[in-house]
Amino acid sequence: MAQITHYSQWQDAPAGDNEFAKITDAVVRVVETPRPPPAWYMAFALALSWLGILQLCIGFLFWEGIGIWGNMHPVAWGWPIVNFVFWVGIGHAGTLISAVLFLFRQNWRTAINRSAEAMTIFAVICALLFPGIHIGRPWLPYWMFPLPNQMDLWPQFRSPLAWDVFAVGTYFTVSLLFWYMGMIPDLATIRNRAKSTLRRFIYGALAMGWRGSSRQWHRYERAYLILAALATPLVLSVHSVVSFDFATAQLPGWHTTIFPPYFVAGAIFSGFAMVVTLLIPARQFFGLKGLIEMKHLDMMCRIILATGTIVGYAYAMEFFVAWYSGSHYEGFAFINRAFGPYAWAYWTMVSCNVIFPQMFWFKKIRGNLWAMMLICIVVNVGMWFERFVIIATSLHRDFLPSSWGYFIPTPFDFLVLMGSFGLFFTLFLLFCRFLPIVAIAEIKSVHPAAHGDH
Amino acid sequence: MANANNTTDDVIVLNEEGAKFGRAMLIAGLVLIAVGVGVGLSFDTRGLKGLLHSYLIAFMYVLSLGLGLLWIVIIQHLSKARWSVVVRRVAEVLAAGLPIVCALGLGIIIPMWLHNADLYIWVDHELVQNDHLLHHKAPYLNVSFFTVRCAVYFAFWGGLSTFFLKTSVRQDETGKAELSGLMHGVSAPAMILFAITLTFASIDFLMSLDPTWFSTMFGVYYFAGCIMSGHALWALSLMWLQSHGHITTSVTAEHYQDIGKMMFGFVVFWAYVGFSQFMLIWYADIPEETHWYHWRFEEPWKQVSIALLIGHFVLPFLGLMSRWVKRKKVSLAFWCIWLLIVQYIDMFWLVYPNGEAADRVPPSALVDLTLAAGMVALFLGSAIRRAAGINLIPTKDPALSDSLAFHNI
Amino acid sequence: MSDEESKSESAMDNTEDKPKSDAPTTANGEPLHGVLAEYHTPKELLAAAEKIRDAGYTVWDTYSPFPVHGIEKAQGIPWTILPWLVFGAGCTGLTVGLGMQLWTNGVDYKYLISGKPFFSIAANIPITFEITVLFSALTAFGGMLALNRLPKPSHALDHVERFNRVTDDRFFALIEATDPKFDDTATRTLIAETSPHHVEDVPADTRSENLPKFFTYVAAFLALTALIPLGYAYSVRGTTSTQPRIHIVPDMDFQQKFKPQRGNPFFEDGRAMRPQIEGTVASGDLQDDSHFYRGKVGKAWARTFPSRFTPNEAAMQRGRERYDIFCVPCHSVTGNGSGIVAQHALELAEGTWIPPTNLTLANIKQQPVGELYNTITHGIRNMPAYGSQIDPEDRWAIVLYVRALQRAQAGNVSHVPAAKRAGLK
Repeated sequence: MAQITHYSQWQDAPAGDNEFAKITDAVVRVVETPRPPPAWYMAFALALSWLGILQLCIGFLFWEGIGIWGNMHPVAWGWPIVNFVFWVGIGHAGTLISAVLFLFRQNWRTAINRSAEAMTIFAVICALLFPGIHIGRPWLPYWMFPLPNQMDLWPQFRSPLAWDVFAVGTYFTVSLLFWYMGMIPDLATIRNRAKSTLRRFIYGALAMGWRGSSRQWHRYERAYLILAALATPLVLSVHSVVSFDFATAQLPGWHTTIFPPYFVAGAIFSGFAMVVTLLIPARQFFGLKGLIEMKHLDMMCRIILATGTIVGYAYAMEFFVAWYSGSHYEGFAFINRAFGPYAWAYWTMVSCNVIFPQMFWFKKIRGNLWAMMLICIVVNVGMWFERFVIIATSLHRDFLPSSWGYFIPTPFDFLVLMGSFGLFFTLFLLFCRFLPIVAIAEIKSVHPAAHGDH
Repeated sequence: MANANNTTDDVIVLNEEGAKFGRAMLIAGLVLIAVGVGVGLSFDTRGLKGLLHSYLIAFMYVLSLGLGLLWIVIIQHLSKARWSVVVRRVAEVLAAGLPIVCALGLGIIIPMWLHNADLYIWVDHELVQNDHLLHHKAPYLNVSFFTVRCAVYFAFWGGLSTFFLKTSVRQDETGKAELSGLMHGVSAPAMILFAITLTFASIDFLMSLDPTWFSTMFGVYYFAGCIMSGHALWALSLMWLQSHGHITTSVTAEHYQDIGKMMFGFVVFWAYVGFSQFMLIWYADIPEETHWYHWRFEEPWKQVSIALLIGHFVLPFLGLMSRWVKRKKVSLAFWCIWLLIVQYIDMFWLVYPNGEAADRVPPSALVDLTLAAGMVALFLGSAIRRAAGINLIPTKDPALSDSLAFHNI
Repeated sequence: MSDEESKSESAMDNTEDKPKSDAPTTANGEPLHGVLAEYHTPKELLAAAEKIRDAGYTVWDTYSPFPVHGIEKAQGIPWTILPWLVFGAGCTGLTVGLGMQLWTNGVDYKYLISGKPFFSIAANIPITFEITVLFSALTAFGGMLALNRLPKPSHALDHVERFNRVTDDRFFALIEATDPKFDDTATRTLIAETSPHHVEDVPADTRSENLPKFFTYVAAFLALTALIPLGYAYSVRGTTSTQPRIHIVPDMDFQQKFKPQRGNPFFEDGRAMRPQIEGTVASGDLQDDSHFYRGKVGKAWARTFPSRFTPNEAAMQRGRERYDIFCVPCHSVTGNGSGIVAQHALELAEGTWIPPTNLTLANIKQQPVGELYNTITHGIRNMPAYGSQIDPEDRWAIVLYVRALQRAQAGNVSHVPAAKRAGLK
């Protein structure tokens, strides 16, 4: 039996007598250590308190009703839908990294895919929270599903909101399967190294008796490839369907045909920014600098730059066609967006999403962790504002000037948004503590030692 | 292990037969275009208007092939793709056929200078003055600005395709690895400019055929078709070269499978873009937009629309799904030819049914196909001529060995 | 093919020839599961796998911490049928997705929404796509588990301590004792030829495959308790009760307001409805003009129109309009009682139907205007009261128009103005 060292200290150099063992050690000791670093405790305490705020807010919301938010005519959709679209968008990077980069054989993804997938799951949970608490009668969400009932009613499947239920639901299920399936061999690794019976039982149950047989690996790899091939169009479809919620309407500012790819690009953009935001501290505190290398972060920055530029293309196309269409209403919607009462939000969005990411053209910036972190946070702020701009500026001045208005959020809007971050970080920190945050088996399979003459 | 193949025992320079074929194609292309124009002007009852429509379809079709291949070259450099190095030169050579395609664009621009409004009604001054909408768009849709834009597009595409081919060939001679870095560096801004030029070119040449209609997705729609057919032509060219004894050992089923995958991906992407554009316009049902689809869902165009849905998506989607279809040359060649045909039908479908039925010209199989065949021949002939005397494989590319040894999982 | 068959035949002969006592055992004499060889690199494993494959073994496997590139070929693993299962599931999902929408929105519960067709490909594509992907993905995952015989909680290899490193950095090959070609010495020789770093006998897993009794009891207990709510729901199905239903979530069933005929502790008399305050009249309720409001002069029906109503051309037109709206369905345009409702009732041969009165009959003609007015206000026989729907002014206008209808039915040429007689046939 291999010598298993106990890691009470956080060091960067992995133990183990060969390349594979080093990888195993580096990842599994994060789970095996009796005490995580103090930064983890601090972050967890903060995340838990924010989660508490979320619970209190939701409790009060159910007691008092939707009126505690700023949702009011004419911007009746308000912040909950902004937060929903924001979180769904964040939840795109994980599957993209797992599936699309897998199909394109981008081996660098193995360093980050596990944590990105986890982030996807948690972000989608946060996203699903918002329609759940926004429907006004949160005890009736099953009305959205085609269940036979005593009223002999069926859902209205021609509605984009019904499409959303299926798209986000399917996406959550498939992402969860993908994440879990990828983890099975790694859970077996933790099981095989476990000291206590309880640990062995829990991780053993989760690993389902995986023993690394080649016959099993063969089917496993096929299934993984198939899931990746399925997840790729799925990831495109999810944010496209979310964009249909807006684009099928006749409202200027919402109804434009570029919305589906534009939303998808924006989702990837914000998702990658979130992955970088989370991974920079995670690799620092858990001693994973050897596995999540600077070159991986550099690649992520390039993708952020590329998708940010695609988003900029979409903004420009919208503006050009708003003028080109010759439609009075289209033109007004966009002039109002850029120079109306919400100009501050619009220009925040443009500078955060299009201008700031351009800094990633410089290699120096892509090599500076602080700059990277800052730009990625700015991108996330910008992407939140993008959804806010789309929703608020299009709704607040529609065809009838008598019904124009201005959206004013209440403190509860802020607290619920903050609380959703608490939920997200709580789940992510628990994941960092108890599950393998890097795909051990995958990283071994692309390691030179797996092919060379060691 | 099994990858003992290398470029040393391979024919990597175009042989005499190939060079001859290139010259023949060039001449055949010029003759066919001349015949097409001649027939269009003399025997064709549709007159100049019909000829211009046929010419535009053929031009946009051959342009989509060239732009698709140019994109392929840019993306390989941008992503530093290793699998494709061995097949990249063929794409570079094909993309370098773009300058002659751009020259064909004069056939669209010159009638405009002569105030011919058969193709684009916004060329008609009087109409523009009396039509509120056209008057509004006149700062963009006018002959001089259109000419300037075309000059920019053509200069950019022609210059970029020549740059990539020349730099890559220079690497063959000097073996400098920095040249890979240079091409990688150029590819990023090139991609942005490519996206912008392609979008506005599709708006100018195709969307403005009906100047009242607009769709923000239109550039992406044309782009999807370009890339799909570019890959199809790429694979076919490789097969043609191999069947004439070139690069027979270097290029393997693995490379074909990857090209096939990209083709499959863009078949799906085209369907995604096409569906999104259609569904959003259909669903909102605003008169400013729906008329464009309404024309295409009236007889006889309805049949073409349905054929496009089935031929451009359903059948190739099912056909290209399997792994072995992409690895076997016969089956892959079938689908490449198929997709090149449906791409033509797509252009045909975009150009003809514009305006009310009474204002339209009917298609003419003879003129349409003669011009298309002529332009494709001219494009390929020009590309083959550029391939003469240079290696068909970037022999000094640092990533070549990876590409030769490449295996799909 | 024939080659393989003969191989397996000879293998069977071998097993038959062997006496039972010769069943392979470990060094300690335990029944043998197989022989396990350990390697340090994927390359060693691949070479070993090729050797074992070429020796013709069938019941054997290799184990590695990650999928070793090329092991399928080296080991001769057949291509899995999983893609076909997924393809089938995708087709099923496509059918289910389209079928569900077609049935629910297009057949069972048609509901017109913003002019969209009940069923159309464009609007029903997104959900169809999602369900197709969902079915395929669930099958890919479930199919992988099922084909791999997972979950598998216990295995003979679990007892080999060295084998724990299979998920870390070691590579193993195991030839099982049940392989037809397995031979105590030949197999070991073959394994030794593959130059493993370690060889070990794996004893058979002798633990019972059954679950512990404790699990069975707990599971049975939980299953039974889970049936209780279902059983209760079944037993009370269709029964009646005078108790109000249970409101887990009250929705808007109970609102903070007082309904008529209910109690209200706030008032002394405990009633929610308040009586009119003595000596007051509600706005608009002071109907002191008996002629105008009730059609009565003293105790008798009024024979004249009230003074507040002026029977002129405008009143006649108004009466006609109101009559056409409220009265025509039963009494018909001419007032003869054959309106569309009456006709339809006759067609249906309704036994209890009382036909509407022919307003032009002599007895109606003789009724005073006040009585006609009263009939409109309060209804008569099966004619409902129209007092709440038609203002008094309009009721008098209708009465005026009814009088005109009655005269029209009894008219002759002399009633037509002289100027218009020429227009008659």
